[in-house]
Amino acid sequence: MSDVVILGVGIHPFGRFDKSAEEIGAAAAQQALDDAGVKWSDIDSAYLSRMYLPATSGARILRRLGGTDIPIVDVEAACASGGAALRQALLAIRSGESEMVLVLGCEKMPRGFMDPSMIYAPWQVQMGMSLNPSYWSMRARRHMYDHGTTEEQIALVAHKNHRNSVSNPNAMYRKEFTLEQIMNSPLVCDPIRLLEICAPNDGAAAVVVTTAERARKIGGRPVRIAACVHSIARYSADFRCPADSMSATIDNPGPTEVTAKKAYERAGMGPGDIDCFEVQDTDAFCEIEIYEDIGLCPRGEGGRFAAEGHTQITGLHPVNMSGGLISKGEPVGASHLGQVVEVVAQLRGTAGPRQVADAKTGMAHVLGAGGNCAVTILERVQVHA
Amino acid sequence: MSIAADRPLTPIRKGLISEPLDGPEGFRLLGSKCGACGELSIGTNAVCLNCGGSNLSTVRLSPEGILWTFTIVRHPPPGDYRGPKPFVPFGLGLIELPDGVRIMAPLEGDIATFRIGARMRLTLKVLDADSPAPLAAFSFSMIG
Repeated sequence: MSDVVILGVGIHPFGRFDKSAEEIGAAAAQQALDDAGVKWSDIDSAYLSRMYLPATSGARILRRLGGTDIPIVDVEAACASGGAALRQALLAIRSGESEMVLVLGCEKMPRGFMDPSMIYAPWQVQMGMSLNPSYWSMRARRHMYDHGTTEEQIALVAHKNHRNSVSNPNAMYRKEFTLEQIMNSPLVCDPIRLLEICAPNDGAAAVVVTTAERARKIGGRPVRIAACVHSIARYSADFRCPADSMSATIDNPGPTEVTAKKAYERAGMGPGDIDCFEVQDTDAFCEIEIYEDIGLCPRGEGGRFAAEGHTQITGLHPVNMSGGLISKGEPVGASHLGQVVEVVAQLRGTAGPRQVADAKTGMAHVLGAGGNCAVTILERVQVHA
Repeated sequence: MSIAADRPLTPIRKGLISEPLDGPEGFRLLGSKCGACGELSIGTNAVCLNCGGSNLSTVRLSPEGILWTFTIVRHPPPGDYRGPKPFVPFGLGLIELPDGVRIMAPLEGDIATFRIGARMRLTLKVLDADSPAPLAAFSFSMIG
């Protein structure tokens, strides 16, 4: 099977802006085209990843680049929307139907907790079960009980991510906090605190995807898509679905473990072969659990693994070099493609103070409502003279 | 059951709670047990969420269980939340029943006292008590 590559990337910073979705989306898309060295008229299909924007947003945003008759499709899979859209691009190219595809992620979200009516049944909302962080917090509490994970270990993850974001111009907060400030920030849902969770916001990120052959003709700095996998949680495997009841007898592996395993198999790699990771830190505890699910450390060891510094930029397995969603915010449709933009920068060696030394491979991971999970593995392409 | 003769309680979701609410066997949550794989889920469902089987029977769930995990909700939940106004922080947890299922439910009682492993008992929770159409919901309370 022919290799599929990312030839260009673009991003509009994540934050809160007095700009329309059309403005920020078109800016990211144009930047990706420029980075790839191609024109809008070279694109033969396009996908918009979004959760909150209304119907036909893809066509409305991209018509700012000029008139076209190509298929433009909006893709939604909650927090994994970007992975689902990137996978569509991969399939379109592998089928031979398309050769040059634009994937845009864009979102403009209200401040505060996410609107629950799209995810929860009315009775769950009425009874008070619709505050998203409560689900992650219950997992954190159980992990602390089972494995001795501490509130300080959780806070250390937030500390790392906030500090990494200081040099990322695309992050929302870009502010370093002391461990004490994090551990004294208000509880949102015990044991998770305000400086340990991500906030919905606005943002856009885009990639231009094509075949390795076409990329060679154009030139530039392509990055190979070694795997792009999307799956949803198996029965009773994740109560973020959100579930109203869970099995006490069947213990299925969670969506991150399942999706990462498939991605490793497709890429022919294991956790030790990946040089840097961008993962879904909806909250700081979530990142600890992901270390275990993607095989960076044994089950139950995630808290200690974080505290020992292994996931710092200079550690053995750098995680969330960009600052993660905790510091960037989570414009849901744009979040995965934002991770991909960071990993591409790492593989090109252009990440500046956040650069992981000689990164050749990287993973981007997202996880959210419906148990939707996506994992993309990228690999540096040797450019021949 | 009603909180006033002219204001009968309506179950918050059909098939979730045993009716009549003041029946002789007491207030219970209802579940669906699969005849093929034996898995149990809350509420009356037509299809098993595990194996897809359609031979399901409605069962009355055990009213007592063990607190498996919990959190304290310290901000008003978004959307059409029907809890007390002004907002009061409350516990939310998964209660493991001996039937083989864990139920997500609000927790009654002092938020400082919840602990994993505590014995819990089902209680009827009335929402919108002052409205013309109060709702019958449920929560769990610590025993002892």
